[in-house]
Amino acid sequence: MTEQDDISRDAELPEPELATPGRWSVSLVWLVPLVAALVGLVLVVRAYLQAGPSITITFDTAEGIEPGKTEVKYKDVVVGKVSSAELEANHEFVIVHVDLSKEAASLAVEDSRFWVVRPRVDMGGVSGLGTLLSGAYIGVDVGQSDKARTEFEGLEVPPAVTNDQQGKRFQLRSSDLGSLDIGSPVYYRRIPVGRVVGFDLNPDGRNVTIQVFVDHPYDRFVTNRSRFWNASGVDVSVSTGGVRVNTQSLATVLVGGVAFQSLPGDDPGEMADMDAAFPLFSDQNSALAPPDGDQLKLRMRFFQSVRGLAVGAPVDFQGIEIGTVSGIELEYDRDKKQFAALIDATVYPQRLGRAYRGLRDGVVDHDHGDEQPINADRQVFTDMVNQGLRAQMRTGNLISGQLYIALAFEAKAKPMMVAADDGQPLEVPTSLASFDQIQQQVADIVDRLDEIPFRDIGRDLSDTVRSARDLLRQIDGEVTPELRRLLEDVRATVNAANQSLAQPDAPLQQNLTETLDELDRAARSMRSLTDYLQRHPESLIRGKANDPDPTDNFPNE
Amino acid sequence: MATQPLCVCEHCDAVYRRRALARREIARCLRCGAELYRDQRYDLNAMLALTLAALIVFVIANVYPIVRIEVQGVASEATLWGAIMATWNSGVGVVAALAAATVFFFPLGQIALFLHVLPALRRGRVPVHFSDAMHALRLVQPWSMVEVFLLGALVSVVKLAGLAEVIPGIGLWAFGILTLLLTTLTGFDLRRLWEIADGARR
Repeated sequence: MTEQDDISRDAELPEPELATPGRWSVSLVWLVPLVAALVGLVLVVRAYLQAGPSITITFDTAEGIEPGKTEVKYKDVVVGKVSSAELEANHEFVIVHVDLSKEAASLAVEDSRFWVVRPRVDMGGVSGLGTLLSGAYIGVDVGQSDKARTEFEGLEVPPAVTNDQQGKRFQLRSSDLGSLDIGSPVYYRRIPVGRVVGFDLNPDGRNVTIQVFVDHPYDRFVTNRSRFWNASGVDVSVSTGGVRVNTQSLATVLVGGVAFQSLPGDDPGEMADMDAAFPLFSDQNSALAPPDGDQLKLRMRFFQSVRGLAVGAPVDFQGIEIGTVSGIELEYDRDKKQFAALIDATVYPQRLGRAYRGLRDGVVDHDHGDEQPINADRQVFTDMVNQGLRAQMRTGNLISGQLYIALAFEAKAKPMMVAADDGQPLEVPTSLASFDQIQQQVADIVDRLDEIPFRDIGRDLSDTVRSARDLLRQIDGEVTPELRRLLEDVRATVNAANQSLAQPDAPLQQNLTETLDELDRAARSMRSLTDYLQRHPESLIRGKANDPDPTDNFPNE
Repeated sequence: MATQPLCVCEHCDAVYRRRALARREIARCLRCGAELYRDQRYDLNAMLALTLAALIVFVIANVYPIVRIEVQGVASEATLWGAIMATWNSGVGVVAALAAATVFFFPLGQIALFLHVLPALRRGRVPVHFSDAMHALRLVQPWSMVEVFLLGALVSVVKLAGLAEVIPGIGLWAFGILTLLLTTLTGFDLRRLWEIADGARR
């Protein structure tokens, strides 16, 4: 069968209708892959445009970091993602590769810091609790530099202060760190306003510089007149004022802290600059003491025990603490052949306040005027010593026996010259304190008592007593019987005398009575005679007249 | 011409004599107006265009995450291969292998085979290993189950939406489009490719 036959056989069959669609329909189907390609292209381009820089961060451990999952968050906004984590060649670090997003490209600058946010519990509290559920993420503190950087060292602990926090950083100088640590709070009137963000040992190893950060808006309370002090722990002071316990808060007892306050006074001073340096005082009292000004070194020699005097003991003038003892040494005085306690003290004459300024102005005025201030201080003290200023060691506390150095004027002080300024500390003559004087006098009395030969006296006394006893025994044995006999005789005599005298009819008594009667009669006669002679004196010559009538006598009497 | 000289309308069973078509012509049934057949070259063009689109979309679907789930700040993104690996790691290796085959390898094979066959045919030549490729294509087509995967993914997304914040990813949209494209490609009659190849050999 040929093709022609087929056609002829099927000739009766109808042919389908034929139509030609427009030419445009051809290109229509190609729109599909075109659109798909466009979409793909858009996606690729978008991915390319959105891709930020890739950075690497080194951490000690990749704990909680999961490649492809762990995010980098800044202010809780996802700004990147960990793409991979690998071990460094020496197995010391973990290198984490992070793809930052385009918008976060500015994060990769010189002073940016990265750390892993994990749940943490420390003295300052609990942080990162949210990561218990979401898993760890990498936190960023965006730096302010505009220098790009792609390799970072991750922090092991979150920074105490991030760059976006408003506030100011200050430096504190201290001789030691105390119980402070990073994160220790900073208090202003017992309100926590900041924290310790770092500390360094100074290169010379003598001091410590502590960085604190005070949050906005409290940073404006830090002025150039502010005083910082260590508020760590409990400050228990026993003084004549009683027992005082001072602490900023219970937390400072545990974690330490720093407190600051402006010096009392109307003028709060100007706001301190960023990174201003302040001394860190050991306690509030020393921090808020008036400014010390220049210091003056004093030296004193005490020829007595310094038990109870410690380095740091106060030096006091008229009850004002003007300095502290800075050194105690023992020295042998060859001339006096005795040991002397050499006490060095640092005093701050400015603490004497207005009175001292007056004194100093006087000194500076009559001097050349361009005198060095330290010399003026020395001059003032030299003058005061010449006027009788003496150092005394006094008992500050009778119970604990603590001593302090008191500078006081002594009226009876002998004039004493002070060596000229030769770079050595100013030597202040010493005198005994009143209490010590009493002690000295008691000692003198005791010395005198010591000189009394009690032993000899005792021996003599003992001899005397012995001989006395002998004597008594003798008296007792010999004299007493005699004496008794004598006494008996005496009694007998007295009895006899009694008998002879006391009995009315005793011959002596009778005689005596008669005698007395006679005497009486004689006296009466004598009186009559004198009366008569008074009246009749002529009778002495003429003799007695006749007796007149007795009644005549009366009118003449 | 080796093709059947007759053609029956699929819809009304009217028989027509097949005749050659001019470019871009469509043969229609006289009775019911349904399309009987159309210019073959046009079919090849469409198939090639769709295959290319399918390839692009397939790449997108596999590169971009299908879904992003956030629960309490825990975010998790899943790509197709991430999901397959997770399935493998959870101990059901057979399921993972099956998913990998039906959602990745078979669709990819389908696209690759079409790409092997279609451009040559379009230029009027018979590609090498044409018959092997066509047999493979016939074997692969029923196993390509992107649409099943898409349905499963959609169901999971809807169910998860109550528990977590579910954000459909670019991959999910791509799989949707891929499903449409592959379905269209599968809808083409492979027999016509044979016919075209015969014509080309001639």
